Amino acid sequence: MSANPVLSVKDLNVSFNTENGVVHAVRGINFDLHAGKTLGIVGESGSGKSVASMAIMGLHPTTADITGSIQYKGKELLGLSDKEMCEHRGKDIAMIFQDPLSSLTPVYTIGDQIGEVLKVHNKGMSKQAIKDRSVELMRLVGIPDPANRLKSFPHEFSGGMRQRVMIAMAIANDPAVLIADEPTTALDVTIQAQVLEVMEKAQEETGAGIIMITHDLGVVAGMADDIMVMYAGKPVEIARAEDIYTRPAHPYTIGLLGAVPRVDRADKVSLVPIDGTPPNLLNEVHGCSFRPRCPIAKSGGQCCKDVAEEPALRLIEGAGEGHYAAADIAEQLVDARPEDLYPVPEVPESKYDSIPREERPTVLEVKNLKKHFPLLKGALVKRRVGTVKAVNGVSFDIREGECFSIVGESGCGKTTTLLEIMEFNKETDGDILVNGSSVHDGLKGSELLKMRKNQQMVFQDPTGALDPRFTVYEVLAEPLENQGWKKKDIQKRVIELMRTVGLQPDHVNRFPNQFSGGQRQRIGIARALAVNPKLVALDEPVSALDVSVQAGVINLLEKLRADLGLSYLMVAHDLAVVRHASDRVAVMYLGRVVEIGHVDQVFDNPIHPYTRALLSAIPVPDPEVEASRERIILEGDLPTPLNAPDGCPFSTRCPIFKLLPEEKQKVCTSEHPAMSREGNLDHEYACYFPNEEVAIVSATNPEAVVGVSQDETPWGDSALAADSTVADSSAAGEGSIRA
Amino acid sequence: MTAAVPPTDNLPRESQDVPELKVDDTPDFKVINKSTIITRRFFRNKAAAFGLIVFILVGLFGLFGGLLAQWDTNTIDPFYMATGPSAAHWFGTTSAGTDLYAQAVEGVRTSMAIGLIVGGLSVIISAVYGCIMAYFGGKLDNVMLFFLETLMMAPQLLVIAIVINGAGGQKIREVLPGWVILTIVLLIFSWMYDARVIRSMAMSLIQRDYVKAARYMGVSPFKIVWRHLVPNIGSLLVLNFTRGITLAILSEVAYTFVGIGVKYPNYSLGSLIAQASSQINTLPWMFWIPMILFFLLVGPLSLMNDGLRDAFDPTSLSVGKAKKDKKEKAK
Repeated sequence: MSANPVLSVKDLNVSFNTENGVVHAVRGINFDLHAGKTLGIVGESGSGKSVASMAIMGLHPTTADITGSIQYKGKELLGLSDKEMCEHRGKDIAMIFQDPLSSLTPVYTIGDQIGEVLKVHNKGMSKQAIKDRSVELMRLVGIPDPANRLKSFPHEFSGGMRQRVMIAMAIANDPAVLIADEPTTALDVTIQAQVLEVMEKAQEETGAGIIMITHDLGVVAGMADDIMVMYAGKPVEIARAEDIYTRPAHPYTIGLLGAVPRVDRADKVSLVPIDGTPPNLLNEVHGCSFRPRCPIAKSGGQCCKDVAEEPALRLIEGAGEGHYAAADIAEQLVDARPEDLYPVPEVPESKYDSIPREERPTVLEVKNLKKHFPLLKGALVKRRVGTVKAVNGVSFDIREGECFSIVGESGCGKTTTLLEIMEFNKETDGDILVNGSSVHDGLKGSELLKMRKNQQMVFQDPTGALDPRFTVYEVLAEPLENQGWKKKDIQKRVIELMRTVGLQPDHVNRFPNQFSGGQRQRIGIARALAVNPKLVALDEPVSALDVSVQAGVINLLEKLRADLGLSYLMVAHDLAVVRHASDRVAVMYLGRVVEIGHVDQVFDNPIHPYTRALLSAIPVPDPEVEASRERIILEGDLPTPLNAPDGCPFSTRCPIFKLLPEEKQKVCTSEHPAMSREGNLDHEYACYFPNEEVAIVSATNPEAVVGVSQDETPWGDSALAADSTVADSSAAGEGSIRA
Repeated sequence: MTAAVPPTDNLPRESQDVPELKVDDTPDFKVINKSTIITRRFFRNKAAAFGLIVFILVGLFGLFGGLLAQWDTNTIDPFYMATGPSAAHWFGTTSAGTDLYAQAVEGVRTSMAIGLIVGGLSVIISAVYGCIMAYFGGKLDNVMLFFLETLMMAPQLLVIAIVINGAGGQKIREVLPGWVILTIVLLIFSWMYDARVIRSMAMSLIQRDYVKAARYMGVSPFKIVWRHLVPNIGSLLVLNFTRGITLAILSEVAYTFVGIGVKYPNYSLGSLIAQASSQINTLPWMFWIPMILFFLLVGPLSLMNDGLRDAFDPTSLSVGKAKKDKKEKAK
C-alpha cells in the first residue's frame, strides 16, 4: 500500500435547500482511498451514499452547500469551478452509473460515445488512435467482435453489455479513482457476476482505487477491501471487509447482517427486521441517529453514554485492524449476533407443517401452460413474422399452506406464468385449475367472481400497485365491495386488516404516498388478504424494498401463511429470499422449467447446469465464502425467446454442453429433455448429461478455465448480444493492454 | 383533524386479532368520506375559494337578478333612450331604449348555462370515450378513433352556421331556442381533442399495477374505467373542465358576435357585446358592462383551476398545510 492515498475525503458535509427546509444529506465523511484498493460504501436508500459520490465527482448543482475537503493526489477538488473540474472528471476520477439504459445516449453509436471520452481529455489524438484504443477497451471489457460493434447503437446491446460499455468508458483514460454507484443493481445475477468480474479486471488493468456504492452487502463482500456502513448521512462503521462481516460493532451493521437472508443456509429462522425508518434529515439529529430504531435503547439498555451527543466514530480495540464504529459500547457488541440484539420473531408454526404434502388438498394446478405471443410486422396488413414463446409448457402444482417459488433471469417467463394464472382466461393454452375449477370450465358472473376471490396478487412495486387517488380505506375496500360485502362489514374488515399487517388502523384516511415503501407493501398485502383468498401470487414482493424493511415484510408473509393457511406462488429473482421463504421451487429458463423440487434439494444439490450457475453467481455476504467458492460464470445473455435454440434451450450457454463430445451434443440439440426424477426425492430436472464435466471459471482466477477450447461460438449469432467471458479472458491475454 | 370529526360509531375491536396493538392511544376515528377530504383541501387554497365565491355570485346574479329588474328585456322606455346608468335603469339603456340590466341578467344566465353544459358534458364525454378506447383497445379502439377523427375534420364553423341559419333546421328552430341549438352544436365539436389526449394518458395508466390488481379482483371494466382511470387523469379533467367552460363562453361570444349564435329576442353576453360594438365611444356602458360581467365569469374559473387540481391530487402540498394548521391549532 502506497503511503499517499489517491483520494482523501475529510469531513465532507453536503446539504441542500429544499422547499421544506435544509436537508443535511451527508454529515461528515472521512476516508482515504489507496490505489488498487476497493472501498465499499453500504447503506439503505437515503443514507447519503450517492450524494457523497456525486460530491466527489463535483456533480451537484451549485445550490448544494458542500464543505470539508476532497483531495485528489493532494490537490483540493472542492471549490473548483465546473470547468476546472472537467479536467479531472472522466480522466482522473470516473464514474459508473447504476442504470446503463439511461447512461448512454440512444442516438450515438457506442464508438462515438467511447471516442468522445478519449477526445475530450486527449486533444490531438488521431482518429485512428481513438479507434484503436476504443477497440482495445471493448475487448478488455469482454465485448466480442469489438471493431464492428463500435458501430452499434446502445439499443442493440443488452443491459449487461451496456454496463460493460459504461465500464469501458469509465476506464478509457486510466483513471486513478473509479466510482461505481450500484453498478449491478439493474442486472440479473448471472450478468451481475460477469460485470463484477469485468470490474475486478478493470481494476487490475488500471490500478485504480474503486469506490463501490451499494445496498447489497453480498455484492461488496467479494470485492471490497474496506467497507463503510452509512446511516442517516454519517458513517457508523468503517472496517476491513472481513471484520464487518465477522465482527460488526455497530447495532445497525449487526441488524443489516441479520436482515439479509442467506442463500447458503437451509435452517428456518426468522429474519431480523430493524423496526422503524431512517430519520428525516430535514430535522437536526439529536443524539445517536440510530437511537429510535436501536434495539439496545428500546430494551432500556444503555448504549449511548450521552443521549444528547451524537456518538463519534472511534477506533475499536480487539476487532481487527483499523476498525472504527460510532457506538459507545461497540466493544461489547463485537461478538454479538443479530439474534442476541434484536427481538427475533418466532418461526411461525403452520398446522400444515405436520401434514405430509401428498395429503394436503391442491390449491393450484398448472398443466402444460403455454403462452405464445405473435410477432407482427407491417403497417396496414399485419403479417406474423415469428412467435415469442414466453411460456412453453410449464406444469406444477401447489398444495395448501405451501410457498412455491419460480426463479430465473428476467425474460425467462416467470412473471408471464404468474400473470396467465391471474388472468384466468379461458383461451389459455394448457390448463390451470384453481381449487378444482379449470379455466376451460367457462366460468361466468358470480361463479367467476367466487373463483377470483380465491386468488389474489401482491405486486412488485408497492407504489404502482396502489391507486394514488385512493385512500387506504378505499384501496382495502375495493375487493370487498366487489365481492358484495355490506358497508358496515367492510369498515370492520378494513380495520381488522390494518391490524393484521401491522399498520395503525387510524391511518386508513391517508393516501398511499404518505406511507413508506415497506408500509405500502403491507397495504398491498392487506388488499390481497381482504377477501380471505386461498392462494396469493407474489410478484417480487420485496425487491423494491430496503434490506432492513424487507426482513419485516418477509416475516409478515411467513406469519400470515402459518396463521391463515395461505398458499403462495412467488416469483423472485433474489434466490436468497426464495430459499428463506419457500417450500418448493421451480427454476425457469426460456419459458420452460428446468429444475423443480423441494427448496433444500434444489439449492443444496442442484443438478441442472443452469441452476448450478445461477446459485454460484449469487454473492454471499461473507468474504470467506466468497473467496473460496468457485463460480460457474455463464457466457452471454439469455437468448430472446423469439429464436430459442432447438432442443435444450440452455445448450447455447451450457457449461456442460461445451465440453461434451459431438455425438452427445447432438442429443442435446435434437430434442428438449424430459423431466427426470432424482432418486425418490421431490426433485426433478431436465438435462441429459448432468454428471458430465463443467467448464468452470473461478472467481479468484478468471484466466484459469478448465479445459475449454474456444474458437468461435458454435451456436452462431443466436442473440444480438452473444458475448463470452471465456473469449474475453483469452482475448485479453493476446490483446496488448497498455504496456 | 380530530376536532372536525364527530364522535364515531362504536367500531368493534377484536382483541384476539393482534393483542399487542395499543388501542388506547389511538383516538376513536371515522373513515372520512373522500369528498369531504377533497372539499377541505380545496378550501385551503384561498384564491380558489375566492374564485368560487365570485363565480357563484355571478351565477346568482344570472339566476335571480331578474327578480330585482323593473323592466323586461325588450320593452322600450321612451324617456330614457341611450342614457347611462341611473336609478331607473341601473346599467343604463341601449340606443333603442331597452333596459340593459334586464338584458345583462339574461345574457349572464345564457352564457353561463352554455359554458357549464358544454364544459361539463364535454369533459365527461371525452373522459369516458377516451378511457373506453384505451381500456378495450383493438378493433373498438380503431372504430372509435375513426369516428373521432372524422368529427375533428368536419368544418365546425360551417355546420354551426348552417344549423342556426340554414334552411333544413326550420322545425328544430321552432322547437328549441337558439342558445340550446348552439349548446348542442358546441358540445358535438368540443370533446374530440381532449378525448384523444385522454386516450393516450389512459393507455399508460392501464399498464399500472393497480389496474391489473382491480382486474384480477374481477372488477367490471366500466367500474375500472370510472374508479381508477377517470380520477387518475383528474388533474387534466379539471383543467379541461374549467378551460372548457371558458372556451364555450368564448366561442358563444364569438359566434354570436359574427351573427350565427344567440339571436333576438334572446340575449347572451356575446349578443350584448355585439350590439354595443358600433357604439363603444358614444355609449361606453353598453360595451363595458357586459365585458366586465364576462371577465367576472371567466376569471374566477382560472383561479379555481389551481385549487381543484390540488384538491384532487394526493401528491399536492395542501396536505402539508393541513398538518401545519393542526399544529398551529394545537398551540
